[in-house]
Amino acid sequence: MKIHRLVYILMPLVIYMSFLWAPSAAILGDASRILYYHVPVAWVAVIAFIVAGVESIIIIIKNDEQSLMREERAYNTTLIGLVFTILALVTGAIWANLSWGSYWNWDPRQISIVILLLIYIAYFSLNSALEGNESRGKISSVYLILAMVVMPLFVFIIPRVYDSLHPDTIINADKKMHLEEAMKITLFTSMGAFTLLYIYIYNIMNRISAVKIKIREKRHAL
Amino acid sequence: MIKIGADSITKRFGEHLLFRNLAFSAESGESFYITGANGSGKSTLLQILAGIQRPYSGHVTWEKNNVTIIPDDYLKYSGFTGPQVNPYEMLTALENIEFVSGPDVDLHNVNELLERFGIYKERNRQVKFFSSGMKQRLRIINAIINDPPVIFLDEPGSNLDVEGKAILYSFIENLKPGKIIFIATNEPDEIKLCSRGIVLDDRYL
Amino acid sequence: MTGIYKNLRKDFLVEFRNRSAVNISFAFAVITTMSISLVAGGTSFEPHIHAILIWMIIFFSGMNGLAHTFIREEDEKNALFLRLAYSPEDIFISKLLFNIIFFTGIISVICPLYLFFLQARPLIPQLFIATAFSGGLAIASITTILGAMVSKAGGKGSLFTVLSFPLILPVMWVSITNTALSIEGAESANYRNVLFLIAFSGIIACISYLLFRYIWVE
Repeated sequence: MKIHRLVYILMPLVIYMSFLWAPSAAILGDASRILYYHVPVAWVAVIAFIVAGVESIIIIIKNDEQSLMREERAYNTTLIGLVFTILALVTGAIWANLSWGSYWNWDPRQISIVILLLIYIAYFSLNSALEGNESRGKISSVYLILAMVVMPLFVFIIPRVYDSLHPDTIINADKKMHLEEAMKITLFTSMGAFTLLYIYIYNIMNRISAVKIKIREKRHAL
Repeated sequence: MIKIGADSITKRFGEHLLFRNLAFSAESGESFYITGANGSGKSTLLQILAGIQRPYSGHVTWEKNNVTIIPDDYLKYSGFTGPQVNPYEMLTALENIEFVSGPDVDLHNVNELLERFGIYKERNRQVKFFSSGMKQRLRIINAIINDPPVIFLDEPGSNLDVEGKAILYSFIENLKPGKIIFIATNEPDEIKLCSRGIVLDDRYL
Repeated sequence: MTGIYKNLRKDFLVEFRNRSAVNISFAFAVITTMSISLVAGGTSFEPHIHAILIWMIIFFSGMNGLAHTFIREEDEKNALFLRLAYSPEDIFISKLLFNIIFFTGIISVICPLYLFFLQARPLIPQLFIATAFSGGLAIASITTILGAMVSKAGGKGSLFTVLSFPLILPVMWVSITNTALSIEGAESANYRNVLFLIAFSGIIACISYLLFRYIWVE
């Protein structure tokens, strides 16, 4: 199922669409094009962490020979999530500067993303501190599950409860999108492309992990 | 009637192989020794049998009257002691024993054991003031206070003086009928207490 | 039930006989509060500054003591002894209750001292107290499970703070905001945030309860 290979086509398409095809926005002008990168990147960050949480739940429930591979998968997706969170933070800061005049605004949503970033950096600290411990996979999984439960709080609830400068997200109270047709199409295509990119990278990382595990097993059998 | 079986047990710590493909079984009324050079994995094997550690591969099975027991319940049927099992230093001997005692134990049983093992007079002293020999006697009491059908002893004679060992060995002799006793040790006297056992040597690497 | 009670009793006995551990946490709380009041020297602060200071003191006092209950089991080499005697569920609940009781004690010391020495007077005292205790409850809930994880990782002090900080931050955020409102006496102040904190504690406690055994048992 090589569907992720579609990214080879989709990503260049998105780059074209975002810069050339979609019209400029009303107030911000061309600067608004960052929308087509910021939103998908934040979206992938959230997806990556949900996958990490789900994988962790499976690790806890099913304890069998597959556990080692699952632990590697959880680690890989968290790493991708971390990178995309940083990207979301950076693209968000750039957009903040363009819209509101400064990179950092003590805005609840910006702060939420930083907290999310810290949670996942903490995961890597925990993981390396547990080096050599037999239960490392399970303990890290518990942490990821805890993080996955707390995460919706940051990404969805707190910014809604406290006044935020951040524009309404796609899941907003109006249930309407305040974008023109062409912009909507570009945005959704971009989200699709970035999701495929996530799957693509995740797939490669997992294949490397599988090989690592195989090598270790062969060595043990000798 | 309890039966404990080990099937193809392999254990490794990271890259280091401890032992592989161990297989044996024991049932009520038998005493089983585990011996081998330092670092051969005696304590680890004992803990695997008790369900405290998991093997890298292979299975441990416990059956009570031919009904399989789940690993989470192993500790309900066993007492375990070893150098890594340390009572609370800030509590007294009596408080430690009461901490691990189940509902069936009353003060009379406790005092009896304290007397038997010669630490009755120190029962209200905090363990931090105990000598290593006294601590060892307390450890053994903690393992047997609930009268479990399975007993795991990891180097039970360590730190004990001649008198202490005599008390211990005669106590084990009395326990043997009807119980499974596993002893991990290098002491010839303790190995002699057991009807059969296993030596962890190159055969299992 | 008895398992939880016996463990709680054991923990209190061990902690109070080893007086240094408990003393250090309370001493830290008192010293920090007094230091701040000395430095403040009678300046009057805005409500939200008071709120921030109070919660900073509470937070760092917590970091000092809340992981201790699990780390002590590992450091003193009692972990295996404990594991053999009681089920993971009993152990977790007793540690959680211990942390809640301990932290409530710390907060009960910090708040009156602070309010007295810095001459802050909450205009809505009930809200102030409710926020202080519900925030403390939330912090105690998170730090119990994290303390268990850190104890298995060798228990180095800074790892616990690194793990706790991002998860405690929203609790702090909400608590600080609410505490400021309670000092200020703002009309918009209500108990919604207190409910949020209690709900948060409940969720974290439930999940921790379910997952604890995967940390504790190999």
